[in-house]
Amino acid sequence: MEHNERMDEKEMAEFEQKLRIALQHREAPLGLKQRVLARSRERRQAERGRWSLVHMAQRIAASAVLAAIFGSVAVYRHVEERRKGEAAREQVLTALRITNKTLDRVGDKLAENSR
Amino acid sequence: MREALSWQPDFEQLVDEHQSMVFSLAWRMTGDRGLAEELAQDVFLELDRHLHRLGSANHARYWLRQVTLHRAADALRRKRAKAASLGTDLWVELEERHVLVEPVDTDDDSPLGRRIEALLAGLPESQRAAIILRYQEEMTPDEIAVMMNAPLATVKSNLQRGLKLLRVKASQTLKEFVRGA
Repeated sequence: MEHNERMDEKEMAEFEQKLRIALQHREAPLGLKQRVLARSRERRQAERGRWSLVHMAQRIAASAVLAAIFGSVAVYRHVEERRKGEAAREQVLTALRITNKTLDRVGDKLAENSR
Repeated sequence: MREALSWQPDFEQLVDEHQSMVFSLAWRMTGDRGLAEELAQDVFLELDRHLHRLGSANHARYWLRQVTLHRAADALRRKRAKAASLGTDLWVELEERHVLVEPVDTDDDSPLGRRIEALLAGLPESQRAAIILRYQEEMTPDEIAVMMNAPLATVKSNLQRGLKLLRVKASQTLKEFVRGA
């Protein structure tokens, strides 16, 4: 019984050893490395192409944002100048009204005195 | 740790170094030379994309073995699903059991190796994977368990059952192999 077990273990160990030898690495097919490297280069180029497209889109977007900012600033300045102009015009008109009233009063006083 | 810090991966060198390992794993798992070559190319391209995440040469080898096994399992699953949808289960099963490994007439191919591969193809997938990792890649059962994300007991049982089955098949077909060629 024990002898059989030992024989079985020995045979199994031999079998495992032969399996190791039988399962050594096989040679890769000829040109596998070259094909892998070529596909890798293609992928990198495609990726670079995709990145340049993304970069172009980013530049266009950035230009649009800058144009919008400069446009807004210009419009704001224009509106602000117009508002300031309106305010100045109002002030001039008020000053003219005050002057007019003062002149009226002076005219009345002079007329009273001459009478 | 020092190796991880100083490791400067060179993709071409890694392909050179591991192409026969990846190809052998893929071929012995799928039993299809053409499919194995396709898988090997895909695995290396995936390595190219993930190279920056790998910290050492050992990590790269481990990663390659694991990804090759997964891709081979996926490919076998797709093959079975395709066959099932075409209603050719029986034919594929016969092919997998008897003529899965294509004969290749190259000088470096030992006839024994070819016959063992043919017998391996008849094993269930989990047993086949365990045996290939143990005897082709010289991995310990613990390492196999980690790689296959399976309990150690399952891996040991797969190895034992696979070996037994393989030995029985070998004794039926390859008398000289068992008794010592």
